[in-house]
Amino acid sequence: MASTIDQHGAEASAAPLISVRDLTVSYDIARTGDRLIAIEGVDLDVREGEFVTVLGPSGCGKTTFMNVIAGLVKPSAGQVLVDGEPVIGPGPDRAVVFQDYALLPWRTVFENVKFGLEMQRALKGAGWRERVQDAIELVGLKGFESSYPRELSGGMQQRVGLARAIVAQPRILLMDEPLGAVDALTREVMRDEIEKLIAATGKTVLFITHSIEEAILLGDRIVVFKSHPGAIKEVIETGLERPRSERSVQSDPRFLELRDHLWDALQSEATAAAVSK
Amino acid sequence: MSAFLASGPNLGRGGIGAWLAGLSSAGKAGVLAIEVVVMLVIWQLVVGVFGWINPVFFPPPLAIAQGFGELVSSGVLAANLPISLQAWLIGFALAVVIGIPLGLLMGSVLPVDRVVGPIAWTIYATPSIAYQPLAKAWFGFGIGPVIFLVTISAVFPILLNIAAGMRTTNTSIIRAGRVYGANRMQLYRSVYLPSTVPFLFAGLRQAVVLATIGMVVAELSGSSSGMGAVIIRAANTYQTDQAFAAIAVVVVWSVGMTQVVTLVERWVAPWTRKGR
Repeated sequence: MASTIDQHGAEASAAPLISVRDLTVSYDIARTGDRLIAIEGVDLDVREGEFVTVLGPSGCGKTTFMNVIAGLVKPSAGQVLVDGEPVIGPGPDRAVVFQDYALLPWRTVFENVKFGLEMQRALKGAGWRERVQDAIELVGLKGFESSYPRELSGGMQQRVGLARAIVAQPRILLMDEPLGAVDALTREVMRDEIEKLIAATGKTVLFITHSIEEAILLGDRIVVFKSHPGAIKEVIETGLERPRSERSVQSDPRFLELRDHLWDALQSEATAAAVSK
Repeated sequence: MSAFLASGPNLGRGGIGAWLAGLSSAGKAGVLAIEVVVMLVIWQLVVGVFGWINPVFFPPPLAIAQGFGELVSSGVLAANLPISLQAWLIGFALAVVIGIPLGLLMGSVLPVDRVVGPIAWTIYATPSIAYQPLAKAWFGFGIGPVIFLVTISAVFPILLNIAAGMRTTNTSIIRAGRVYGANRMQLYRSVYLPSTVPFLFAGLRQAVVLATIGMVVAELSGSSSGMGAVIIRAANTYQTDQAFAAIAVVVVWSVGMTQVVTLVERWVAPWTRKGR
């Protein structure tokens, strides 16, 4: 079965937008004096406009991986290039959607969406109000502009998080298990919406998840992580037609094949992790 | 819309608890009023009508009301209440002016926290009554020692709460700020300071109560004026009805000021308003 799964090989001719070279991140644990290797020797190229899902068990370092690309964590070795430039910190070309939404509870929806622009000192001149309003409407929150986050459901809060990222007009959208804290039904609805939204905006996306279905449904490519230490186990092209909808894809034989393959890959990972403990 | 309103943790309320939680604010006020009236009636019956307790030690409500009338008509209240309130307000203002900046500094600069923190906790842990004789020695017999005790009682809950608020700022929000390129100044203004506001108001509410205790303690001995002096003088001359009336005035002030703090919080920080 695995023979029909293409291992990702040569890159496309155009220079990649994100280029990760032999990336290693390790931490000193002050309490024990040990050194914890979060991720080791990660290489990955992402083309402009590509939707890459990163799949792996908890604690495999996939969030650390994303944080390095976001510029929030410094690599211990290796480097990350975005559009050929080494990442030395956060930048306006990248925005992050957080698992716990990371909204400011003292700000209304409108003010939260505005937050990114404000921190980027991009509120000068006309037009930013319209941009904020457009982003709010794009994620379906029209009418909730003056609500506070605690008045919204989890799914709606993440829509705010999404709007905040989109309005900053980044080239790269980094999404750290954005639907991880959302209920199952909302999750399915939002998956479809995210797919449509990204297809419409043409953004490059790195989407972290521990859901096999999510990784297949959303990704052009799936990067499978293994743990101890965190590293790339394999990279798979999904090869599924777009636009995809939850229902049409789930009966696609290719989907079933990918799901079985990823299931086996993750299960051996999970077993290995359980044994090593 | 209301279906999305957070209603706090559901602790499985049932029966009278559910009924109380479901009341409107007018309904809650009604329940409180009934509670107070019932308590006063029982008190009046037990002491005033049946005489089970010596009314000199524990005067009934109507006697206290009469005592209050005497405090007003004799001019004692008018002579002493403004002195107490003046000391309270000056002392509290000082506590706010010292506590807020110092708390912010403690919360943001670790060395300051390590130096000021243990000292602050030590003074905070000392009963304010212990400083009372010293305050007299330092500040004489006027309003000075009262202001000192009010300030030293009120400053630490403000300071320590703010410092805790700064330190417990949600790291996810800080990361969000950094992702969008926020500099240090922007992070303070837009992330750390607003997230400290609920802690500030929690500190202020504690500070109001402790300031009132500090005020009365300072006035109880060696003072010739203020509500504390009125209480001790009335009690020493067995006019316990007047002593209780003076205590009631102090309590009304204390509770009233916590309500003022809550009102200001709702106005300044509407996002902290709970759904119940």
